[in-house]
Parts: sequence; C-alpha cells; structure tokens
Amino acid sequence: MAAKLNLSGPPDSDTSSPNDQSVSSRSSNRSLRVADKARRKNEAEDPFVLALKYFSDVEAGTPVYGNDDVERNMVLVEKVAYSKGLSPEAISIMLEFAMSLRMGTILCPRVLKCLIPAAVVPQEAVVRAFVWLGVGKIPVSTQILFIKWVLTVFDMIDAKDQLRAIYGFIFSFVTEENLCPFICHLLYLLTRKESVRVFRVRKLLELQSKLGRQPFLLNLLSLYKVFCPDLVTLSIPSRIKSVFRNHNMPWRSALIAVQKRDGSQAASSISPASTIKDKTNPRKRKHCHLVLPALCSVVNKEAQTEPSSSRKVVPLVQLHSFAQLLENMHRIELPAQMGSLLGSSLALQYLDCVQDESALLRLNFWLGYALHEEFLFCGDGGASQNSEEALQFLNKLLSTQHFLQEGFSSSEAFLYKFLNVWDGSLLRPQILGLLSNIPVIPSSQIRRLLFEPLMQLFFTSSLFFKCGLMECLNNMLLKWLTWHSVYALEDDLDISLNSHTSINMTLSGFKDSVMELVDFVGRLASVGLQLEGCHSLLLSFILDFYETVCDTFLKYGLPLVVIPPTGVFYPALFASDPVSVDRLAYIMYRYKVNLTSAKSQETEQAFHISRQTFREFNHYAVVMVNCLWNSKMFQPGMGIQPGEELLLKSNVPQYWMSFDLIHHPAFMSYAVDFHQKCWPGRKDMDLNSIKHSKPWSWYLEYLFSQGYDGLKQFVQSNISRQKAAGDGQGNSLST
Amino acid sequence: MEKHHNSVTRTPLNSVVVQRRSKSKSYRLSYRSCLGAASRLGLTPALTARRLNTSRRAPKPHNITEKVDAEQLTLLVKTEWQLSYVTPLYQFRHTQLKSYSRQLSAFIAAEKQQGMAVEVEGPQKTFRVSFSLVQGLTESDDDAETVLVQIYSKPLFARQDEPQKPVWSGWLTCINGNPEYLGSLPKDFICLPLFGSSGAEGLTTLVKSWFQQSFDCCFGPLEISHTSLQWLMALWTNCHNEYSIQHLKMIWTLPAVPPLQVTYTVNSEDAWELWGSVRKGNRGGGGGGGGGEEAEEESSIDIEEVRRFMQGLQSHFYRHFRLDLSAGSLNQVSTALGSAKYSGRIKISNSRYMITTLTLLTECALLKMPI
Repeated sequence: MAAKLNLSGPPDSDTSSPNDQSVSSRSSNRSLRVADKARRKNEAEDPFVLALKYFSDVEAGTPVYGNDDVERNMVLVEKVAYSKGLSPEAISIMLEFAMSLRMGTILCPRVLKCLIPAAVVPQEAVVRAFVWLGVGKIPVSTQILFIKWVLTVFDMIDAKDQLRAIYGFIFSFVTEENLCPFICHLLYLLTRKESVRVFRVRKLLELQSKLGRQPFLLNLLSLYKVFCPDLVTLSIPSRIKSVFRNHNMPWRSALIAVQKRDGSQAASSISPASTIKDKTNPRKRKHCHLVLPALCSVVNKEAQTEPSSSRKVVPLVQLHSFAQLLENMHRIELPAQMGSLLGSSLALQYLDCVQDESALLRLNFWLGYALHEEFLFCGDGGASQNSEEALQFLNKLLSTQHFLQEGFSSSEAFLYKFLNVWDGSLLRPQILGLLSNIPVIPSSQIRRLLFEPLMQLFFTSSLFFKCGLMECLNNMLLKWLTWHSVYALEDDLDISLNSHTSINMTLSGFKDSVMELVDFVGRLASVGLQLEGCHSLLLSFILDFYETVCDTFLKYGLPLVVIPPTGVFYPALFASDPVSVDRLAYIMYRYKVNLTSAKSQETEQAFHISRQTFREFNHYAVVMVNCLWNSKMFQPGMGIQPGEELLLKSNVPQYWMSFDLIHHPAFMSYAVDFHQKCWPGRKDMDLNSIKHSKPWSWYLEYLFSQGYDGLKQFVQSNISRQKAAGDGQGNSLST
Repeated sequence: MEKHHNSVTRTPLNSVVVQRRSKSKSYRLSYRSCLGAASRLGLTPALTARRLNTSRRAPKPHNITEKVDAEQLTLLVKTEWQLSYVTPLYQFRHTQLKSYSRQLSAFIAAEKQQGMAVEVEGPQKTFRVSFSLVQGLTESDDDAETVLVQIYSKPLFARQDEPQKPVWSGWLTCINGNPEYLGSLPKDFICLPLFGSSGAEGLTTLVKSWFQQSFDCCFGPLEISHTSLQWLMALWTNCHNEYSIQHLKMIWTLPAVPPLQVTYTVNSEDAWELWGSVRKGNRGGGGGGGGGEEAEEESSIDIEEVRRFMQGLQSHFYRHFRLDLSAGSLNQVSTALGSAKYSGRIKISNSRYMITTLTLLTECALLKMPI
C-alpha cells in the first residue's frame, strides 16, 4: 500500500518519499540518480537512458493502448536487452516498473521476458519484486514467469543474504498450488540449515498429503533431511527423477547469446542447481555388502560432543566442488557412514585430511566387513558368482589406496587371512595390488603372515603368477623404502622412527624387515628361475626387483646393501638375451656406486656395511669381468668350477672363451654382425679376430651404440683399459 | 590339544586400537596399519588363527528371573531367534532410546511408502517402535546393556479400537564379551556384537539398515558352527543333573546321493551317563587332587571332553547302523533347554542357562569381527 502511494506521486519528484521505502532501495535509487546525472552529461541524452527514465518516471494508470511512447521506449529497451543485456540499474528500473503494475498487467510479461542481465542482478530489485508479489494483483501466469526468471538468473544475483532473510516470506507462497513447484525450487537454492524448521516441515508434509508424491516437494524435503535428519526422513525410489525441471526456457537462448558476446564473465546459471543423483541403483542381490553406502548426514547430533554442535558444521553431502571443500575444511561434518567416502572423489580428498581415529576405525570396520563377507565368509562360492561386482569394488579400493598412497589396516588384516585360502588366480591383479600396499611388517611376523602363504602360492602357480608376485613384491619394497626415505629425512638416521610414527619401529627393525623381504625374494627368484627354466620374462621381473634393491642406499637413504644370490646372478649373466645381461651389468654398476658411497660415509654416520657384502660384490664383479672381458671362464677361485675332465668331455672348444662378449650367446649375433661390417670382404669368419686391440674397442663402441648402457657403465666403472684394450684387465676391487 | 593357547588364540583383538587411543596425532600409516606396535608381539595370532575358546566354565544356573523383567524374559525365551553379528555401534547411547524409537518408526514409515517424506517427531500410524533396556542381562562390567527392539503394528483391516500387536522383535547383546577387545575400542563405540531377530524378513532388513545408517555398523549372518553346536550339546547335557534335558536330539546330514538326513535322539539319562564317563575319564588319572582344585576343574569343560563326548555318540551310532556320522555334518541340536541350528537360528527354552548360551554366541559373533 505504501508503495502504491509512492508511485502515484508526481513522476519527476523524488521516486521515494523517506517514510515509504526501505533504506536499501532508497539508497540504490539515489545512486541511480547520481549515475544518471553523470551519464546525462557524457552521453548527451542517449535514447536508451531516456527510455529507462520514462519507465522509472511514468505515472501510474497511464494507458498502454494507443500510447506510442510506451511502445517506442519498450522497443528500445528490448533492443538493448537482446543485444547487450541490461545493466543492473536497468534491471532494477524495469523490474520495478513491471511488478508495480504501473501500467497494468499487459506489459508485465513482455518486460519480464526481456530482463536479460548483462552482468549481475541487484539483490534489492529481486527482494522488492517479491514484495510486489505479496501485494497480489499480478496474474498467476506472470507470477510464475517472475519466479522462473529468478531461478534463471539466480547465480547472477549479486548477493543472497537478503533473499535468505525473507525465506519465510518466500516460503509462504508454497501454498499457492501453481507457484509451488517453482517456489520449491527457489527455496531449494536458498535453504540453509537454520531455515529448516519443524513448522515448515509440517507445512510441506501437509502439502505432500494434498498433492501426493511430487518431485519438487521431495527434492526440497530431501534437502531438509540433509540438514535436519532428526526432523524429517524419506526414501526416494529410484524411478522418481529427483531433478527440478528446467524452467529457464524463455531466457535461455538470449542469455547465452548475451553472455557469449560478453565473453561470458558471469557464471552461467543455465544448468539449474539440483540434487545430484547419478547413483545407478545396483541391481537387487542377496548380498549387498559390496555396495558403497550413500553419503548421508548424521541423525543423532544431540549425542555428539559440544564443540562440534556449537560450531556451524557443513555436511559433506552439501559440498559439490573442491573450492567449497577448501572453504569449509575446518567445519565439515563427517557422514553417517564412513564407507560412503569411498564413493565420491571429493570426499576422498577430505579423507586424506581426516585425523579422527574413530572415523577411520568406522571406515575400517565397514571395509573389513565387506571384504570378509565377500571373500572369506561366503561359503556358497559367492565370490565367483558376482566377480564383476567384486572386481569393481576392489578396483575402487585400489584406486583409493593409490590416491591416499597407502593401504587400510582392515584390508591388510584381511589379506593376511585371505592369502591362506587364495587360489592365486581369483582377481589376481587386484589382490596383488592390495598386497603391494601393505605397510612394513616387523621381521618377527613377516614369515608367518606373508612368506609362508606366498611361498605356497608361488611354487604351485603359473609363470604369470610368479611374475605378478615379483612385481607386487617389488612395489611393496618400493613403498616401504619411499616411506622410510620420507621419514628418515626428518630424523637423524639413528633415531628410531617412532618419534613421528606409531609404527614403533627402530631403524634397525626396519632394516631387518627389508632384509627379510629381499632375502625372501632372492630365495623365491632362485628357485623360480630353476622351475621355469630361467624364463626371460620372469628374469626380467626379478631384475626389476634388484634394480630397486641395488639403490637402497643412494636413492632411499637406507644403509643396507643386499647382494643377489647366485641363483639370480648366474642365470642373468648367462641369459640368452642381451637385455638381461645388460640389466645385470647396470645393477652391478649401481651396486658399486652405492657401496663406494656408503664406504665413504660410513665413518661420519654411524652405520656399517658388512665386509661380507663387499666380498660378495667383488666376487661377482670379478666373475663378470673374467667372463665377459677376459675370456677366463672357469678359472680357479670363481664361483663355478666344474671338473677339468667334465669340461673336456663337453667337447666345447676353448670353453674359457664361451661367455666373453663375443661368444656369449646373447651377444654372438652382434659379434657376427660386427664381423661382417668390419671385414665385409672376408669369406671365412673368425670371431677371435675381434679380440685384437683395435677391433675390440670398435666392437665395444658398436655394442654401446646398440643401447647397452648398463654394459657401458659397468665397463667404464670396473675396467680400466690401460694400454692394450685387447688385453684389458679386471680392475674392480674396492674392498 | 592347545589348552595353553586359549587366552591368546581366542581373542579377536587387534590391539592397534588400544594403541591408537593413546596417540592423538600420528602419521596416517600407523593407524591404517593393522599391526600396531603393541600387537606385534603377542596378539597377532588373532589375525590368522582365531578360534573359539578351548575351555569354558560349566553352566551354572543363573537366577536370571530375579534380575530381568519377567515380560522381557518371556519374550526372549519363547521365541526362536535368527542370529547376526554386528560390528561396534558408533555413537550409540543407551540414554537415547526414546528418540531412537521415533526415528526408527519414521524410517520404517518412509521406507514403506517410498517417495513420501515422513516427519520424525510426528506420531506414526502404521508402525510403532519401542526400544527398551533389558536390565540385568549382563555378566561382566565390560558388557554393554542389552537392548530390545519391538515393533508393533495394526493389521490392515483392523477395527479402530483394536490395539497394535507386536509384529517384530529383536535384540542386541553382549554377554561376557572378550574384555581385551571391548577395552580396545574407543569410547565412541558400543559393542553389542550379537543380534537376534524374529519377525518379518522385510522388517529385519529395515531395522538393520536403520542401524547401519545411524551407527555406521554392519550386519552379517552368524552361523552356529559345527564346533559351537557340539559345545552347546555338551553344555546343555552338563546341566542334566540340575534340570532335565529330557532328550538330546541331533540332526545330521550325510553326503550321500541323495543326501541322507539322520535324526539321532538320545535318551537324556544315557547322554548324561556318557557325558559323565568322558568327564570322569578326563580326571581319572589325576584323582585325589586338592579339593579346591577339583572344584575348579569340575567347573570347567575342555574341548577334549566335548570331542570325546561326540566320539562316544558317533561310535554308538556306528555300532547300530554302520554309519559313520563324522563323515557328515551336524546341522541341528536340541534339548529341553533349547535348540540351535547351523543356519544361525537359536531358541533358548530355559532362562536359567541363558547366560551360558549367550556367552558362547557372543564369542562366535566377536570372532566374526573384521578388525
């Protein structure tokens, strides 16, 4: 009523008389006028400005029909609106003009349709328009149009605080049947925890009993449930689509066009905010323990501790972006079921920061339960029945563990049991993946928990399992070493790790565990190679492992060097493929670098590499040099020493040369190739001629050029080729 | 066989929890590692070789009728229960039972009419839920109080004034739970590992999912294993001189084609006599020990005795029918004190020995805990 009074006032007088209007709109009007004046000077009576002035000043009751001024000005405004969009001031004026019905209801929809904001929509204008809505002479269709417009431009409204302040006022419109769907949508966008009240819940439930299951009511109510599960509960069947309909059709294309022209500085509001329900309903099955629980907020809040209830907490369900997560990091409320965190990538980010031990325990209970039920307790072969689901579940778990860069204790505990009953083929990649994530096991337990079951599996399974297990153990070792290197950086090497970790493990305890693991793999590898006839695939995985082992000191700062057993060394040295020999050479080279470095630091840092280790290394180095370089196979003092008569009996001529770089089965083809290139004219091939000083160094160059860098590094670091390269000498000893 | 092990092997404990409590802030790896430092030495056998107690106290009649409300007791006794195990309940408060009643009834209403929201505080027309404490049904101080849940409903076409009838009931209990395990849980958790339910399957599912959502726990089926069934037989038979078991009935399934089901009923006196002989045989050698020691020994039953009892029963059967029962599996046992099925259904007919049975079942449930 008051507003009407104001409108009937003289058009060129103050648009507001002090008593009538809210402070905010008055001040906005004043600033409008100031802006108008300034513009008037600059733009010298821009017709668009004049048009706006017309609409802000036009007297109430001015007829529309036959009024050319209105038509002309309207067209002007429409032109600007559809081409550039309207400025906030223009929006305010036009919205005020339309909703106040100063020229009746006819123009109202037309004005609303052209309210295309160029940048933002002033909140005050929207609030004022809502006030007009309450005055109540606007036809229902226009009311709907207005709310649809608000929904469309919702994200462009410059602030929402005042709109939230009139939540109750807006809420009162839900009882109007035609408006209800749109009002519900708007309320959905405005609802905060404090807006959820018992009386509102009751009102909505009353409407529900009148209107039946309406998606818009359900959507709003389910949001209420998120905030206050102690007030309202509901279960939404999967067939009901819980998304608000798209109401923004009239403005959509115009808005997109305007935004495109402006390089779209305003956030696009085209997609309506709505509950995200992309959850595909899992098909009904008897055992549903592998289904991730849905994110839900906690019901029994009163039972929680004081500090959390006094703080404003944000349920995790309400967060939809990483930015929101960061913003609310300090006041996030954990969901009712911790298992639900695994289902959302955003929640996983948060899980990484969760320090609450109870929360992690809850997660572990759930996870352990699911794993046990699926793989250990299911007597009826449940695991094989729904292996697709199990596969997905484990993959999810694996990707979570990779994301967090460590395993869960419940999956670890599960694995220790499961390894005893596993056939080695069910979901092999996943199980091995989980296994590689287990943290350091103390050396006193490692045999029983890990080695015994793995040994059985290893010796009774296929080559591919053996390779897989080698890879898994290599990954496990890598993770242990990485873990150590991260935490050893913080402590002196000497201090036990427990000052930072509650894995109560001293450095020597950690070393023992690593040593046990490396020794175990050494044993597996030796026997495995024998069993599989030194299969080069298996050998390759084993060499992968030793590439990790040889660098423990330099790469991971662990003062421990373990030399491979003969069962691995010789198969690699005598392998028929050059790659394996090359990798062995590289590994030996790295051993040497590590040992040299350790030796030089031994005195300043209190650790000790045993003499035995140096002895073993030197022995291998001598064997390699003698074998590949000096053609002195089977010399006394080397590891392999078959009887003289046995060697003669083998009828191999010049057996002592049979594993040098020329005659080694892995390199023979290179030697032949080299020979042909070097002496293209020669009919009879004499590989021994490569042994001469010049061709020998050419031959080495030739080999190195084929990409055998390991060999190159080994040769360069171990063999000093003094005068005659052909007579190169083993000079490797660094005791 | 491994008597000396029992205190260690029976524990389902992963004592990392104990350790966690003392550390407020620690590197994540630690609390995700299932081998806490403390557990590294003694307790990890639990990880791989958990098994039932190999020795337990002989059942003593409890005057439970004096402690427990008669109406609740009647309900517990007259019904056959389907068992489940439950992981510890997070933030469960025995003081909030009223509010739980409201929440659960609203939850059931909402689930029953999918797509209709339901006010939690409002009165529910179709289903009424009541949570109640079963006071007095605990044995040790560590045990959380038993909770009884009952659901009442009116039949669809009932008259207006007709009272609601109980349609479903269930309880959560913990009797003589392993104190180490219970003690290792943080304070936010209440451990009531044994869940019994009776009533429509649909309601059971709803109640379970409400518990899951409210207290972040998990329910899994609890079978009564072969060994547990044998234990129950022995424990029940052992009561015969105080309370007649009337008969000892076993149902076996033998892996023949077609499968052969054997119902084997033994006269109570014969069973008692056989039990006495295996008991005596056990103590025969060491006879004449100190009186106190003997009383102590008398009150405990060893797995070996149970095994001998079973062997006695089996060989008796073999003599008559040339059928070796040990090749089959024991599916069901029953006496006048109660009946138990492998599928996890149990009926405790006499309240005097209820505690003993529930202790055994609590132990079974704790063995199923994932951590």
